[in-house]
Amino acid sequence: MKQTPELDRVQEKMRPGVLTLKGFLGNDDRKLADIIAADQQALLRLRINADQIAERLQDLADRGADLMEQEVQVDNRYLIRVRDDRGKIPSPWEDGLFEKGDVDLVDQQTGKALKWNRLTLRLIAKHRFFGGYGSEYRIDPDVAYEILALKPFVDRSPEAI
Amino acid sequence: MTPIITAVLVLSALSGILTLLLLVAEFFFANYGECTIDVNKGDKTYKVEGGASLLTSLASQKLFLPSGCGGRGSCGTCKCRVLDGGGPLLPTETPYLNDEEQKSDVRLACQVKVRSDIKIEVPEELLSIKEFETVIESITDFTHDIKGLRFKLPEGETIKFKAGQFANLFSKPYEDVKEETSRAYSISSSPSDNKAIELVVRYVPNGMVTTYVFKHLKQGDKARLIGPFGEFFLRDTSREIVCIAGGSGLAPIRSIVLDMIDRGISNRKATFFFGAVSQRDLYYVEEFKAIEKEHPWFRFVPALSKDDSDHPYEKGIITDVVARNYGDMKDLEAYLCGSPGMIDACCKVLSSKGMPADRIYYDKFS
Ligand SMILES: Cc1cc2nc3c(=O)[nH]c(=O)nc-3n(C[C@H](O)[C@H](O)[C@H](O)COP(=O)(O)OP(=O)(O)OC[C@H]3O[C@@H](n4cnc5c(N)ncnc54)[C@H](O)[C@@H]3O)c2cc1C
Ligand code: FES
Repeated sequence: MKQTPELDRVQEKMRPGVLTLKGFLGNDDRKLADIIAADQQALLRLRINADQIAERLQDLADRGADLMEQEVQVDNRYLIRVRDDRGKIPSPWEDGLFEKGDVDLVDQQTGKALKWNRLTLRLIAKHRFFGGYGSEYRIDPDVAYEILALKPFVDRSPEAI
Repeated sequence: MTPIITAVLVLSALSGILTLLLLVAEFFFANYGECTIDVNKGDKTYKVEGGASLLTSLASQKLFLPSGCGGRGSCGTCKCRVLDGGGPLLPTETPYLNDEEQKSDVRLACQVKVRSDIKIEVPEELLSIKEFETVIESITDFTHDIKGLRFKLPEGETIKFKAGQFANLFSKPYEDVKEETSRAYSISSSPSDNKAIELVVRYVPNGMVTTYVFKHLKQGDKARLIGPFGEFFLRDTSREIVCIAGGSGLAPIRSIVLDMIDRGISNRKATFFFGAVSQRDLYYVEEFKAIEKEHPWFRFVPALSKDDSDHPYEKGIITDVVARNYGDMKDLEAYLCGSPGMIDACCKVLSSKGMPADRIYYDKFS
């Protein structure tokens, strides 16, 4: 994947202090195109796709929502808490504003945690961006595979990933 | 490479170069000179230097249109009618304007450039939106993650707003944040207390403006506010009202209740359901209890969703508490403040109890 001028602009917006306080890249100093390509490779290896991850996270978020931030146990495995924040956050790709309100998930089997919101899911589903290394909002494909109980995807063409 | 692909590539490159040349030419040579912006058929006229967006030009004259994305063309909140001089509708605007709006010359002010004299129409209320250079009079810790702030307006200035509306608070550059950043906060004080503005701010971990408020802002500091904005305010009817809020959503409801007292509205029963997880999330309880004691038309119902301690409050999720407190709600009206998820959950309960959707009020923008 090539780092296009558009990706340069997007990466600029992902820096700390531009759209969000800590940005989207954590301590990752790779080019955005390389971050996306590396995660694509991980998905291919794991035989899962980005939409599967986004859909599963949305489903878990829905089951923790509307509870006035009360923590809830889901699927006998996950502890989920959904924040009730107001306001929207813009996408670095400038393709919309997305509701704030983070979802915090702890997998009781592995002790591993994930944090996401509607913007995170948009970035995964539309742009195949899972966050830079060290970002609190990174949904690492390997971690997602391990704790979200995803089934291997049948269509193995790269477009489907 | 086929000749067709070569032709397409050459054409794309040429049009790219032309666009670039036009942009460079516009930057260096376009001088639109002084332009006049006529607002609401001569109610206000401003002389501005042409070349900037309508949104920015109006803001430079202290006329503030709502803006949810800071002029990036991605929220559709900066709409106004451009009657003359706005140029053709741009492709960046059409996704945010329905057919009706397009026919009646509604435009996105952040996308329209002021290149010549221009005539616009904005809602009357926007003319009362002002910018205030305030001083922080006090900061109070309400809960572990909620603070109350009182901003003193400059000597001689007052704010006119409807209880329930919000203002935009600006943070100054700090740490990695290089530019002033603004966020919306509901005004929690009464409109009669018009020499100051009170806000309730809940900390959002790693939030740009709330981190500034919680970690950098001190009593005596200067702070910039613009307002009032919003369509969330008490409707002038005689219906009984039910207010439902959680967290910082208490702010506009407090303003509404204080305003009812100040305006002597005692013919409408009002119940405020305030949802929290546990006792540590409750605040302003003493104040609302005192109001309840003094004004028989008002009832305050805090509800805790997860607190096993021995407490005097209702138990359960706020929507369940509302549901068990009412039978038929078809003659009531509701005022809701919270996250979109909480609003949806409340709307479901209220409509299942017969309340018509057009009598359920909340900030659509939130
Ligand atoms: C009409 C209206 C009225 C309001 N009134 C009040 C009020 O009275 N009191 C109040 O406290 N609030 C109120 N709000 C909310 C307020 O405007 C702000 O949205 C809120 O305070 C958070 O602002 P912030 O700048 O601190 O956070 P922001 O920096 O804008 O957002 C922080 C959020 O951004 C997201 N984020 C950060 N980094 C990433 C990443 N890498 N990937 C994905 N997502 C990320 C997360 O969801 C995080 O929680 C109101 C909002 C509206 C629209
Ligand atoms: S300010 Fe957001 S579209 Fe104009």
